Amino acid sequence: MTPPSAEFDVRLDRVSKTFGAVTAVRETTLDIPRGTFLSILGPSGCGKTTTLRMIAGFERPTTGNVYIRGARVTEVPPYKRDFSMVFQNFALFPHLDVAHNVGFGLRMRGLPRADIDREVAGVLDLVKLSGLADRFPRQLSGGQQQRVALARAIVMSPAVMLLDEPLGALDKNLREEMQIELRQLQQKLGITAVFVTHDQDEALALSDRIAVMRDGRIEQIGAPRDVYERPANEFVAGFFGVSNVMNGEVVHVDPDGIDIKIGEAGTVRLSFAAEPGRRIRVAVRPEKIRIARSNASLPLKARLTDVVYRGASTSFFLELGGQTLVAIRQNEGGREEGLKAGDAVVCGWDPNAAIKLADG
Amino acid sequence: MTPVMRAEGNILLPVFAAASRSALLLPPLALLVLFFLTPLLYLFFVSFHAPSQSDLFGEGLTLGNYLRVIGDSFFLTIIERTMLTGALVALICLAIGYPAAFAIARMPPRHRLVALLLLLFPLMVSNVIRAYGWVAILGRRGVINSTLRNFGVIDLPLDLMFSTATVAVGLLTILLPYMIISLANSIAAIDPHYEEAAQSLRASPVRTFFHVTLPLSAPGMTSGLMIVFLLTLSAYVTVSLLGGPRTKMLVSLVFDSVVAFAWPRAAAFAFILLALALGVALIVPAVLRPGRVRGLG
Amino acid sequence: MSPRGRIGPALWAMIALNYSLVLGPILVVVVAAFSPTDFFVFPPPGLSLRWFRAFFELDNMRGAFLLSIQVACLAASIATVLGTFAAIHVGRRRGAGAGLLQSVFMAPLVFPTIILGLALLLVFRTVGIPVLPGIVLAHIVVGLPYCFRSVLTSFQSFDPALEEAAQSLRASPLQTFLRVTLPLIRPGVLTGWLFAFIVSFGELNTSLFLTGPGYVTLPIEIFSYLQFEGGQLVVAAASTVQVALIVVLVLAVERLVGLGRVVRG
Repeated sequence: MTPPSAEFDVRLDRVSKTFGAVTAVRETTLDIPRGTFLSILGPSGCGKTTTLRMIAGFERPTTGNVYIRGARVTEVPPYKRDFSMVFQNFALFPHLDVAHNVGFGLRMRGLPRADIDREVAGVLDLVKLSGLADRFPRQLSGGQQQRVALARAIVMSPAVMLLDEPLGALDKNLREEMQIELRQLQQKLGITAVFVTHDQDEALALSDRIAVMRDGRIEQIGAPRDVYERPANEFVAGFFGVSNVMNGEVVHVDPDGIDIKIGEAGTVRLSFAAEPGRRIRVAVRPEKIRIARSNASLPLKARLTDVVYRGASTSFFLELGGQTLVAIRQNEGGREEGLKAGDAVVCGWDPNAAIKLADG
Repeated sequence: MTPVMRAEGNILLPVFAAASRSALLLPPLALLVLFFLTPLLYLFFVSFHAPSQSDLFGEGLTLGNYLRVIGDSFFLTIIERTMLTGALVALICLAIGYPAAFAIARMPPRHRLVALLLLLFPLMVSNVIRAYGWVAILGRRGVINSTLRNFGVIDLPLDLMFSTATVAVGLLTILLPYMIISLANSIAAIDPHYEEAAQSLRASPVRTFFHVTLPLSAPGMTSGLMIVFLLTLSAYVTVSLLGGPRTKMLVSLVFDSVVAFAWPRAAAFAFILLALALGVALIVPAVLRPGRVRGLG
Repeated sequence: MSPRGRIGPALWAMIALNYSLVLGPILVVVVAAFSPTDFFVFPPPGLSLRWFRAFFELDNMRGAFLLSIQVACLAASIATVLGTFAAIHVGRRRGAGAGLLQSVFMAPLVFPTIILGLALLLVFRTVGIPVLPGIVLAHIVVGLPYCFRSVLTSFQSFDPALEEAAQSLRASPLQTFLRVTLPLIRPGVLTGWLFAFIVSFGELNTSLFLTGPGYVTLPIEIFSYLQFEGGQLVVAAASTVQVALIVVLVLAVERLVGLGRVVRG
């Protein structure tokens, strides 16, 4: 392995972590360039928090190495590493007021009092908490606590800021508000950030890059648009809300795309390349599937098995060629065709809408 | 059962349930009123009477029992000794118990359980036995003296008993488990994220301890100090067995007055003791302010 | 887990110091009880049961031992019933009243018991309550907080919807209590009884004033023996009997409900 370049604020080099018989993280390699907002996304127990805690030094990798700004820190204890962290429950010291919470790290660093006061005032201004310096954590709202936790991490000007599901404790509206603030702050300061979450919307909204983890492995890493629109496999596709996976057989190939046959339902056009005669797996987002009672441009014959009204939208459960699909349509009011379970319908989608999944 | 009756029963059910709930409260409350509250009020009442040769107390109200204590340096010395010993024992318990409690709190849950049970067990053993244990160790024929004599280190037994220090050692070891259990539970309840947060902010393990763990264990320190201090005040048997006839504490004065059938004086001493206990129960939390640690985790 | 879980040699040394200070004196008493000699010699030259025989041959000691067991059984049982009543009431109550009642029922725990003993003595003398019921009453008051807290703890981890479910299935309030509530709070009730028994069995401060001729509990008998008699090894045997009884009781409760809850409760 070549020595890691300092361009990467964090580098994980084939790190694994086992707890007794359980492997939390397997042979994971990850480079995080300076200034990047990286989200590690995955279901609970996928190893994302363990990965974060290995960067922090709260866990020591069983094998492999951790680098921060080019320096190997695998055996360095947390308090000597150049990072700061925002915890899931904020972990604001309950016995210290806001100013002392935020200034804690600078005090540990041995900064003169006047500098600490100035830095703390500056960062509290940045997170719009200037008036609350002498409040105690229990006197603050959830959003204010979140800002204090953020300020406490930012004020250290760390090489990397680690965030362990920091928005999980907030209610939905506040969470969306804080997402925007967090993103703006990170871009303004150019801090490298690693953000652990199980919420795909949050990851999409915040990140420069997303690493999707499962069973201790990174399944895919890329820009939000890449992982959303071109999921590498069924797991990633499923994690981003693609529930429709179909098996089809390539029956025609030309320079513009392919036709695949889906059981008895018919043949549909897709805009990617494949070898003729192969069986492939494709996925289509529910909101991309169009259905109608009859429409010459929709090539697939299907039967409605269920119709579920969901307020803003309606879900249509389709059975076609022995496979089950879900289509979601926005409700626009009035313009209802009166589709109901048992009806025969036709369906289809734009050739660009289908996602090709890895074989098998 | 007819439908009508059933309907009525359902309507009345909540009423019966509420009534039976209050009925549950009555017997235990009656016990405390009759045999806890009333006796104490009666004792307070007695403490304001002159002594009597024939009855429990004489006629007429007086402050004499209290005033005599305030005016008498013999009593004041004993009160001072009582408070100093109590404070000293509580602080030493804190000092030597804290490291053990810290270690216990860091043990895996199963080991922690065993460690705490080993501390709970001595609390179940009567204090007279535990105090006697020190007699068997420090007495003229105790472990120390007989061992030293066996090895020819000394000819005459050392006089290790019957001093304030002996009383303090006895109280310390008898009450230490309260301190450790109280501290260990408090330390174990600290969210480990606080310590990680401190480390993420460049605090070394030692500074993490002094800036985060120690202040966050204030509830345990408060209850530990309070329990230990309060229990030193009423530990008559320990004081009597280890202090002997000369090393008296406030509680000995209560007992001596009872033996002398001076009921009003005993009552007055009892309420002085109670007032001191109340003072301790107010001062310790005021100093350590355990409340500031509570709040959102 | 890196900052936790590691205990260095200095901390182990402090653990050793604390445990020897706490357990050492009890251990010395137990070892001394098996002395073959007239006086305790350390290290003991051999083992013998002569002091245990002496203990059971002394009428005062044997009588005190039996009286203590009877008093403890009676006081613990009554305290458990009353404490359970109180806990069920407080456990179901909401609002400020619950907190207030809770401190009322816990009050005897933090109260200097020697003062309670004196106060009860005065009342008993005035009203004319005999010695034995007096001791039992005092021990009930002292044991009540333990039973109350223990039952309340198991009541708090108890879902009230279970009782509503039972009532929705046509169980009367009494049936609900006997078939749903009681089985679920049983561990708390048992633990409370155990604590009340042990507290009564070792109780010194109220008994100091309340015992009378013919009615002396074991701790008080041991205490007066230590003050007024010479040979002390019979006291070591008496103490060891008491310690053994506690160990047996604790193990029984461990079998019945598990000891984890004892430490937390």
